[in-house]
Amino acid sequence: MIAYIIRRLLILPIIILGVTILVFGMLSQLTAYERASLYVKDIPKRQGAMEDIIEKYGLDDPIYVQYWRWLVGQRVEPTGEIKGGILRGNLGWSKTGKSSVARVIRRRLPATAELALWAAVPLVGGGVWLGVVSAVNHNKPIDQILRVVSIVGWSIPTFVFGLTVMMVFYARLGWFPPGRLSDWALQVVQSEAFRRYTQMNTVDAILNLRLDVFLDAMKHLVLPVATLAYLSWAYLLRITRSSMLDTLSQDYVVTARSKGLRERLVIRVHALPNALIPVVTVSGLTLVGLLNGVVITETVFDYPGMGSFLSQAALSLDIVSVLGVTLVSSLILVTGNLAVDVLYGWIDPRIRLQ
Amino acid sequence: MRRQSPLRVLKKLLSNPTSLAGVILLVIFVVIAAAAPAIAPVPERSRNPYMIPRDGFSSTPRPPGPGHPLGTTEGQYDILYGVVWGTRTAFRVGVMIAFFTTVIGVSLGSIAGFYGGAIDEILMRITEIFQAFPFLLAAITMTSVLQTIYGRRAAGALMFIARVMALFAFGHNPTKPVDPIQLRILTGMLAITLFGWMTYARVIRGSILSVKQKEYAMAARMIGAGNMRILFRHLLPNAIFPVIVIASMRIGSYVLTFAALSFLGLGAQLGYADWGQMISFARNWIPSLAAHWHIVVYPGLAIVLFVLAWNLVGDILRDIFDPRMRVRGIG
Repeated sequence: MIAYIIRRLLILPIIILGVTILVFGMLSQLTAYERASLYVKDIPKRQGAMEDIIEKYGLDDPIYVQYWRWLVGQRVEPTGEIKGGILRGNLGWSKTGKSSVARVIRRRLPATAELALWAAVPLVGGGVWLGVVSAVNHNKPIDQILRVVSIVGWSIPTFVFGLTVMMVFYARLGWFPPGRLSDWALQVVQSEAFRRYTQMNTVDAILNLRLDVFLDAMKHLVLPVATLAYLSWAYLLRITRSSMLDTLSQDYVVTARSKGLRERLVIRVHALPNALIPVVTVSGLTLVGLLNGVVITETVFDYPGMGSFLSQAALSLDIVSVLGVTLVSSLILVTGNLAVDVLYGWIDPRIRLQ
Repeated sequence: MRRQSPLRVLKKLLSNPTSLAGVILLVIFVVIAAAAPAIAPVPERSRNPYMIPRDGFSSTPRPPGPGHPLGTTEGQYDILYGVVWGTRTAFRVGVMIAFFTTVIGVSLGSIAGFYGGAIDEILMRITEIFQAFPFLLAAITMTSVLQTIYGRRAAGALMFIARVMALFAFGHNPTKPVDPIQLRILTGMLAITLFGWMTYARVIRGSILSVKQKEYAMAARMIGAGNMRILFRHLLPNAIFPVIVIASMRIGSYVLTFAALSFLGLGAQLGYADWGQMISFARNWIPSLAAHWHIVVYPGLAIVLFVLAWNLVGDILRDIFDPRMRVRGIG
């Protein structure tokens, strides 16, 4: 197991290097004019300004020179200031966010993290619970119903589900508004007295002892969280169900039953812990997969996170912003996947001891 | 995965109530797609049957009524027309992406599995690099990059790829320039294809690795068959079936991804008969969706049923081909 983790850790830099090459490969397809926003805010409207920028930042140098410069940045004379360099966290200038890409991501990532955090609980809890219910009642009506519900759930596009819940709970009933905070709550959050510890509204509201702000933030989170959770339930349900069915047919479960143990104890003590081992992996991967889900969800609910930023930037063909978000997301994905693998090895002794 | 004769698979698909429902739904969609000109006649002035005819230019959607059985969206695009002709778009997009991803995946995966060694190592690392991107984000990114490049009208090799895809997807003459309306669809399809082939590469590599050890492969090598002959005549026919099954199971998810692109405004062109594109109009009407429910419900229902049909069939295919998913012992 340790050898496996070491191998994964050794491959990781290669993968990340490959990711940067692929991203730069896409960037290199743009014209020098479009690439200029990697280094400068905007191009002055005077004769020859573009040529100066191309000269200064070497935008027509050989591709590998440009790649290296994009990676580590370059010193710009006469000020000696270092421009660009994604390793320094400099992803260029975002026309959509009217700020540097890195700053936009830093500002919006907490909102997305908050969404994912709240979605994780009902997602994993609900999916696993329904899967167990389905397996324990194998081939009974409830199992059949859940099977149909999960296939149907899998077939609903995120935006159709999101728009439908908006239609019912916002347009008709007026319970849960889109956005992230109401105007009054936004004023409270932005005021001097309100300390931003994490940039996550719900967490900060609790830390500031503002129950009203917390409730307002929650009200805005209910629908997007439900959308994210519902669409991943189907998958988790299916995995848990099949893993649980597999475990329930094992000899030790038969033994536990035949020695007269109550069914509930058989399930809770003997079957569930073993059945959940593969579920942990899938849950982890599903949570990492929320990176995909948030793009549409945030766009539908007008929620100011990284996903809605990506869709705005893509729509206005602001490639530098788009690639910045994609780069950061794939780093999250790669590390997340690695963490899930390690966790899997850690909880499953059969793998750990290999 | 284990091998099954296609006829037996078909028999199993038709004998299970869930997959039968899926097959029936698919047949209905095929009929709608084929009979589109009869169900929703193309207006005489129309230059492209896939562009939804407009009835006026008022922005407020009209509810279902005479002339528009399913109502109109913002900009007075007829919903019935869009839903019916959108069926063709959905089939085209789903089947074509499945086809192209399979071709790429099978080529790279079989080369990796067959030659092994350094080639295998390099190709598998490349596969992992593509998998390091969140799929939808990668598709969105690639679409916006491709749109920028194609927008310049001088795209060299990429334009050649677009022409090849247009030949397959639209029967377009590859010597003529691609219609800009079709180019928008092709851009989305190409973006999804470029980040969708990895599973097939891994699966086919695994199957090739296992059939490579079989006696018939050894025998072919003994009698002096060349690499290409062994690969194409002996290995691929025995290894490709699971990939085709996975590809058909995924058609639904490709349609979903493309619909998501269209919903964001990156897929089909405004006014094109595409379900995701039609629903994107609803984004401007969220506070009054209760009154304009039809602009979400009808195109939305079309997508859900279409994807559901593929998933119902795929669900049973999985049971047939992956014995591990079958329940042992109890029940």
